[in-house]
Amino acid sequence: MPKNSDIARKLEEVGIEIDGEVDSAQENSTPKNKGGKRTATEKRGKAAASEDGEDEDEDDEPLRGRRAANRRKVAQNETLEEDSDDDIPPRRCAGNRRRGKPGGSAAESGGGGKPNKRNKRGGKKQKEDKVKGKQDEKSKNSSEDSKSERGGEEEESMSEGERAQLMEEVEEKKKLIANIRNKPWRMKRRLKHLKEAQLFVDKFEGALGKGKGRKLYAYKVMMMKKWIKFQRDFENFKTACIPWERKIKEVESHFGSSVASYFIFLRWMYGMNLVLFSLTFGLVVIPELLMGLPYGSIPRKTVPRAEQATAMDYSVLTDFNGYCKYSALFYGYYNNQRTVGFLKFRLPLSYLMVGIGTFGYSLMVVIRTMAKNADVGGGDGEDNEFTFAWKMFTSWDYLIGNAETADNKYASITTSFKESIVDEQENQKDENVHLRRFLRVLANLLITCTLGGSGYLIYFVVKRSQEFANMDNLSWYEKNELEIIMSLLGLVGPMLFETIAELEDYHPRIALKWQLGRIFALFLGNLYTFLLALFDEVNAKLEEEKSIKNASIWFMQEYHANYTANNPNDTGTPPPIDPSDVIRGPCWETTVGIEFVKLTISDIQVTYLTILIGDFLRALIVRFLNYCWCWDLEAGWPSYGEFDISGNVLGLVFNQGMIWMGAFYAPGLVGINVLRLLTSMYYQCWAVMACNVPHERVFKASKSNNFYMGLLLLILFLSLLPVVYTIMSLPPSFDCGPFSGKERMFDVITETIDLDLPAFMGTLFSYAANPGLIIPAILLMVLAIYYLNAVSEGYKNANMELKKKMQMARDEEKNRRNNKDSTNQVLKDLEDLLPNRSNLPQKPEERKAPKVKPGAAGKGINVQKDVSLALANPNTRGLMTQAPGPKPVGCLPGNAGPGHKGAAPPPSH
Amino acid sequence: MGSTNSTLSKIPNAGDLMQETGFSPAHIVRLYDRYKALDKDKKGHLCPQDFGAIKELAMNPISDRIIGAFFSSGQEVLDFPSFVRILAHFRPVDKNRPKDPNSPEHINSRSNKLKFIFQLYDQDKDGKISRQELLQVLRTMLEKQVTEEQLESIADRTIQEADLDRDDAISFDEFRKNSLWCPSRSIKCRATD
Repeated sequence: MPKNSDIARKLEEVGIEIDGEVDSAQENSTPKNKGGKRTATEKRGKAAASEDGEDEDEDDEPLRGRRAANRRKVAQNETLEEDSDDDIPPRRCAGNRRRGKPGGSAAESGGGGKPNKRNKRGGKKQKEDKVKGKQDEKSKNSSEDSKSERGGEEEESMSEGERAQLMEEVEEKKKLIANIRNKPWRMKRRLKHLKEAQLFVDKFEGALGKGKGRKLYAYKVMMMKKWIKFQRDFENFKTACIPWERKIKEVESHFGSSVASYFIFLRWMYGMNLVLFSLTFGLVVIPELLMGLPYGSIPRKTVPRAEQATAMDYSVLTDFNGYCKYSALFYGYYNNQRTVGFLKFRLPLSYLMVGIGTFGYSLMVVIRTMAKNADVGGGDGEDNEFTFAWKMFTSWDYLIGNAETADNKYASITTSFKESIVDEQENQKDENVHLRRFLRVLANLLITCTLGGSGYLIYFVVKRSQEFANMDNLSWYEKNELEIIMSLLGLVGPMLFETIAELEDYHPRIALKWQLGRIFALFLGNLYTFLLALFDEVNAKLEEEKSIKNASIWFMQEYHANYTANNPNDTGTPPPIDPSDVIRGPCWETTVGIEFVKLTISDIQVTYLTILIGDFLRALIVRFLNYCWCWDLEAGWPSYGEFDISGNVLGLVFNQGMIWMGAFYAPGLVGINVLRLLTSMYYQCWAVMACNVPHERVFKASKSNNFYMGLLLLILFLSLLPVVYTIMSLPPSFDCGPFSGKERMFDVITETIDLDLPAFMGTLFSYAANPGLIIPAILLMVLAIYYLNAVSEGYKNANMELKKKMQMARDEEKNRRNNKDSTNQVLKDLEDLLPNRSNLPQKPEERKAPKVKPGAAGKGINVQKDVSLALANPNTRGLMTQAPGPKPVGCLPGNAGPGHKGAAPPPSH
Repeated sequence: MGSTNSTLSKIPNAGDLMQETGFSPAHIVRLYDRYKALDKDKKGHLCPQDFGAIKELAMNPISDRIIGAFFSSGQEVLDFPSFVRILAHFRPVDKNRPKDPNSPEHINSRSNKLKFIFQLYDQDKDGKISRQELLQVLRTMLEKQVTEEQLESIADRTIQEADLDRDDAISFDEFRKNSLWCPSRSIKCRATD
């Protein structure tokens, strides 16, 4: 016995959930009780004679039950005082409630035991099923009774009376499961109840078991609680692990989600670059540093003698010449040894694979993120009905206990209200449509002209610069014409676009997208000139290399000829030249790498300086000179800067393009980029909080920043092209880099297949590379894409259709409500249900409905009106005319609860 | 249950309270501890100042209203049973606790919860949230950057959204309907209530 109570106590301590359930189980019995009573009395009134036997049963049972209960109580009082403390109050209350009920039969009003309730529940059940005969009912009753009797004896010393009820519940649910087939319900409802019942049985069957089962149950519950707690903690932990979440939230609360979207994008970019960084460093740079030949051992790893004097100079190093150039940061440093170190690490192969893998991974990640975002974007419609009301009543977070957080919350509430206002303004704007359209067309025309003009300008300037390249004695302007024009374009273009965009008067969110797209197009010209210049350089270097290669080959042959002539016995010793004196080619790959690194570095400098001067200095001046200035600087002209979302996003995107293009020729570039992103996260966060003011029209960013991703994908594709071109068609330098001595870079792969893989693999690959196989494969892929596209299109259409329907239904509902001034939720729900169920015979819900109708007290007339409206379908007439059954029992006016329950009362209650 | 139970026995009317509110003994004991902790100078009841000491409440824009909700009109003291009763509003809704048409609803039922919130906004207790009352809340909740004009239009808009009977105020019924509608999660919401 003490053991049992122990378990009970454990259950108790374990928790709220169980308590709740047990309590509710206890509570469950009362309403049933009443329902049962009502039917019982009715029954008696209707056909007293036939019920006699049953009544006797009922009278008999409670007596026994009460006795049992008393006996139990005594035992408990004697042995377990603690237990009774818990036990008595509910029981007493139950008793009170029962006694307080008028109109019960003698047996009922006197009964305090549980079996009594059971009988009544039987009654209620009968009422619900109605299909069942009384015979059926009786047998059910008796079986239930006997079972519970047994249960009662078994439990004797068990802690609570609730156990018995729980047992009944479980029994009942089991029964429900057994004959759910016979219920006249819709399939959906049946399934629902079946599921509920099964869950219930699963949950509580264990609690009713003896000894071990019970302990096991308690243990299970405890573990469940622990697990839930763990999950919650883990979620918290996960949130805490998201880097910069706090910073970004802070920015978001002050500047709105649009600015935050930039920082989220930046964070995402950092994550991706971190992976690229670990790939490049883990598989290329570190193996080379650890296992490759050390610096100074071979010519490509040594600074040439001519440069050695200045190789450590700061100015040289900042240009990435000198020691920088001959370090693992760049392509040229890597040796073409097939394997390095004792691990036989195939470095050249790894180099190529990492180069390709960088693109592969980036593509995969970008596309996957886009797909995921599209998913998110599809979910939330712009159909928010009660935007302002919701913001108004629910935006405060009641857990905030920190003054700073509270400030942020205030700011974010304000910002979100502002965002909603902007959206709202946009929705309500419907002045002159034709004017607006005309202006938009005009603006696009202007911008197309601008873009075309600048494109032609770039083309023209590039042409000229190519001519200049062959001429001597140029003026300073002629030398730098290209750069000057490009930076001027980059400066003027965006401003021009912004001005023109004013004409369009788009919502700022859409305007941002247009702005981004246009500047992107402009910057593509920048990229084009840069690449053009680079290819010219590469071609020149290739020419130069060819001659040097010939010269060095000639030299080697000479040397060997001399050497073998002098010592005929010995062949193959390399010439005794110091590695720094060897004649070497220009190594165009390293040159390209250096170009990209330089570009990235200067980009970083420019960005940071712009922030420092354009934002910080400006803010300082505006703030402090304002004390002694003739007009209000803060409100007037210079004012504080706004955060330039489009510029920053594009800067980030183009920078990433540079990284992708340059990473193959300068493995160290990825490392530099990671550092850049890391610092710029902190720096820009600080700058935006310290020196910027929120936009005049704070707008809500679209949930998915797929537009940014789209730009990124485009840039990725564009930067993929030149790299693949160089890998596939340009010969690698003969004396530097991991592919030196090979005809093409990808020869490493064929070499590996030939040397390291079994012969049949080679043939397999050669078959796979057969055009006869590749072309069908490509065709197949195209077909698959076409098919999938069609399918997704179809889904999208269906989705739109459904959304439209939902919106329509809601509008209609709202209109109806507005027109009729009726707010009875239940009736609305009923109306919605009626047409579907008109072909079904009487259902409990319908019978119950009238009972809840008066829930909206004093609206009788409306009720009538609504009903008549629902009667559009003649089949329903039967249902509704039968309505005034059980009388309206005192629901509180405006009770949501009974109304909703009424619409679909589960039979178990 | 040793120590816990001894505490429980000290609490007056614990059993009735549990019955009424649906709290478990452990809950009651914990609430009692909290009650005593709040009652700094051991006077046996709580007064508004005691609540003011709670950090989370002090931060809240409508803290005075929340505290006010604990004190029924005119009273300045709060005893333990009322304390528990008020807090019972915050218990999760019991899914399988059946509706009893004859007895008053459980304190933690959905509509009672809503009513509790509603009363936070309905300061003059006329059963309607008027435009003025909304404006008051908005003023405390938003920063200075929002102009008075915007505040007013927000309030108007909020009322317009929720108002079904066109009386320029939000009645409880409208408030309830409003909160039953969850933006973009509507289906789930309807299913659960």
